[in-house]
Amino acid sequence: MARPEGKLKELKTAELRHEPGARRDLVVTLNRRSAPRLIAYGDDFWYEKLPAGTRVIYPPPPLEPLADPDAAIRYALLRPENADPLFAQLNPNMRVTIAIDDISLPLPQMRRPDIRERMLNIVLQTLADYGVDDVHLIVATSLHRRMTESEIRRMVGERAFKQFWPERLYNFDAENRSELAMLGKTDHGEEVWLSRRAVESDLLLYLNINLVPMDGGHKSVAVGLAPYQSLRHHHNPATLRQCNSYMDPTRSALHHSANRMGRLVNEHVNVFTIETAINNQMYGGMLDFLQKNEDRFSDWDRMRLKGFRWTLGNMSDSLRRQVLNQYAAPYSMTGVWAGETDAVHRKALARVFQQYAVPVKGQSDVLIVGVPYVCPYNVNSVMNPVLVQCTGLGYLFNMFRGKPLVREGGTVIICHPLRDQFHPEHHPSYIEFFHRCLRETTEATELERNFEAEFARNPTYVHMYRYGHAYHGVHPFYMWYWGEPARQHVGRVIAAGCEEPEVATRMGWESADTLDEAIAMATSDLGRSASITYLHLPPLVIADVE
Amino acid sequence: MSVYVTRAAGRGARSKAKVSAFYDLDGTLAGLNLLHATVFFMANLGEWSGRAAYLARLALDLPRLYLAERHDRRLLNMKLFEAYKGVSRDRLWELGDEYCDRVLMRHLYPRAIEMLEANRALGIEPVLVTGSPDFLVEPLARRLNIEHFAANRLVYSRGLATGRMLEPVMAGSEKSAWCESFTAARRIDMAGCWGYADSYYDLPFLCALGHPVAVNPDRRLLAAAHNRKWPIVRFSHDAEPVRDGGSTGAWLLDWLGRATDGATGR
Repeated sequence: MARPEGKLKELKTAELRHEPGARRDLVVTLNRRSAPRLIAYGDDFWYEKLPAGTRVIYPPPPLEPLADPDAAIRYALLRPENADPLFAQLNPNMRVTIAIDDISLPLPQMRRPDIRERMLNIVLQTLADYGVDDVHLIVATSLHRRMTESEIRRMVGERAFKQFWPERLYNFDAENRSELAMLGKTDHGEEVWLSRRAVESDLLLYLNINLVPMDGGHKSVAVGLAPYQSLRHHHNPATLRQCNSYMDPTRSALHHSANRMGRLVNEHVNVFTIETAINNQMYGGMLDFLQKNEDRFSDWDRMRLKGFRWTLGNMSDSLRRQVLNQYAAPYSMTGVWAGETDAVHRKALARVFQQYAVPVKGQSDVLIVGVPYVCPYNVNSVMNPVLVQCTGLGYLFNMFRGKPLVREGGTVIICHPLRDQFHPEHHPSYIEFFHRCLRETTEATELERNFEAEFARNPTYVHMYRYGHAYHGVHPFYMWYWGEPARQHVGRVIAAGCEEPEVATRMGWESADTLDEAIAMATSDLGRSASITYLHLPPLVIADVE
Repeated sequence: MSVYVTRAAGRGARSKAKVSAFYDLDGTLAGLNLLHATVFFMANLGEWSGRAAYLARLALDLPRLYLAERHDRRLLNMKLFEAYKGVSRDRLWELGDEYCDRVLMRHLYPRAIEMLEANRALGIEPVLVTGSPDFLVEPLARRLNIEHFAANRLVYSRGLATGRMLEPVMAGSEKSAWCESFTAARRIDMAGCWGYADSYYDLPFLCALGHPVAVNPDRRLLAAAHNRKWPIVRFSHDAEPVRDGGSTGAWLLDWLGRATDGATGR
């Protein structure tokens, strides 16, 4: 059997740089003979011809997975970064809390066994071996909805579930005042609140999955186990406007704030972080053509695409949603690191960028993005317009380092049907936010000033968050703020394929029936000289824009 | 409006709230319905023979009540209230107080009361709007410190219930009409008010308010709530009860005990 350390060669800095042209084939300029391109369009896909000259940016191919993930996890626990090995920190009388990322990532959900299950089984075995039995498992949901029993069972696996659910395996409750503790304030005056159980533990383990570079690090504990009182210090328009971009933690005020809070947490709590990176193998088997360059489609690929689109098109909305939500991606682990938060996160971040980064030269006038059926906040739920906004302007616009893919004052075309559809049990406050608050203003600072506190304290929403499966009352505001850097940067947003123009108007967007019409609208001022970029995803890609 | 009742409030108790939350009672704040209350009353009226007669009559009426419920909630209320025919007003109010203490308070959903109090803390004044009779609702409103409520009222003749109800019967659209007059009198914007109810028959009431919430909704209200994108809240008894402990089983034992402890007749 191969020694695990042999498979865990650390990347050297030089390997992490993306030389211009190193991934040249991932940036394609279309000509008249180019094939149509696949564009995510809600719970469907478009296969559309794009204008000649359009630049298409493809995701890099998946990194090679670790051959033996379990051995890699064990190795990481034995050889942590800037910390003693896990076993050396254990004694039978100690109190241990294990916090776990919720199902907001990876997206779509991954095939079993989930990485969290793998990590948990090994960590729990280590704790048991050293006689530690005061162990609690907390799903770090922060203000996300409580995960259901079946979702938790699927995520943590049978072994942990049977042993700990429900007394010692539960969702974090940010509204249970008796279970929260204030640790103090950062030098910027940010209040740091945390789960009391975590604070009073002798050891806090955080099990993370890094899907994108904005995940992980201090954001895991300082956000995942924190209530509104803490989150409001960085989830606000002023802070988010200073993010350039969310995917570049070194230039993101959100991350700077979370880091300050996290460092304060680490002064009070013994945190042992375990971070993982995964590849971008989002589609496999019969759907692997979705990751291909369309110009290289074989007849078999085109036939599968036709069959796939025909099948989706002939399903009812609810059935299609169910089928897509059931899909599990064949993601694989590409790295695992454990130990001190900063040191661990540096290494995880390097691996994540290695997976996603593509060098791109220059900005364009128009950026086209397709918003798929899933985002971190509608797992097993409905993609509502506020979440489309968050995904399009919040996440997809921010898939860059350096400069945005679209120039200042440019146009973003978001492909999505944009229906006035909400899940009343998961997103109750979104409904009021959309129909009441956005009717009055789309200005984030005004929304924050006039409505945020009311929604955050609303007893019905608090009840639905604590005892139902609703996102916290303030969550739609955060989703709206998430799009703030994009709103400050771009001139126009056009919803292509918009079925309900009133929805687009409510959000301050323009609407177009088709992508062609949207492109014509976007390029009307510039004519043929307009440069267009299409960000081809999913899977994910991050553009290093020079 | 004849059905409108304002509980006498102490000095300075008049609320200055400009937003109200209207709560249905049965199935919304409490895990009971009007039939439970009626059975309790029938089982505590008169001597043994009288109780047996009342209960037998109620049992015989069950199919008719079922059909009435299927047809119209208002009709159900009217049929159910016929069971009180001949009972004295004093006895009904006395039993109402007792029922409230012994049964109703124990079956309030703890989290419903938690939410009601949280709303009140934010300046949202609670108002009960229910098809239950006033002799049940008034003691409850007093205990929950709710100033205003709307409930159904029986017609009495010489101090005895006639089995008929004063119009308007508080069900369906009458609830929304009452809310409109209540808010108009206080210059409250209905668009800012909250409504909590559990039954499809409460749809007009919920539709009239700016913030409708379906609580433990029946099948048809659930569909309507999904369709209209209303919040859906589920209360249960799995948390600690509001006052002293009690469960459905305990209630049954309690109720049986009460039924056999020689309560005096009317």
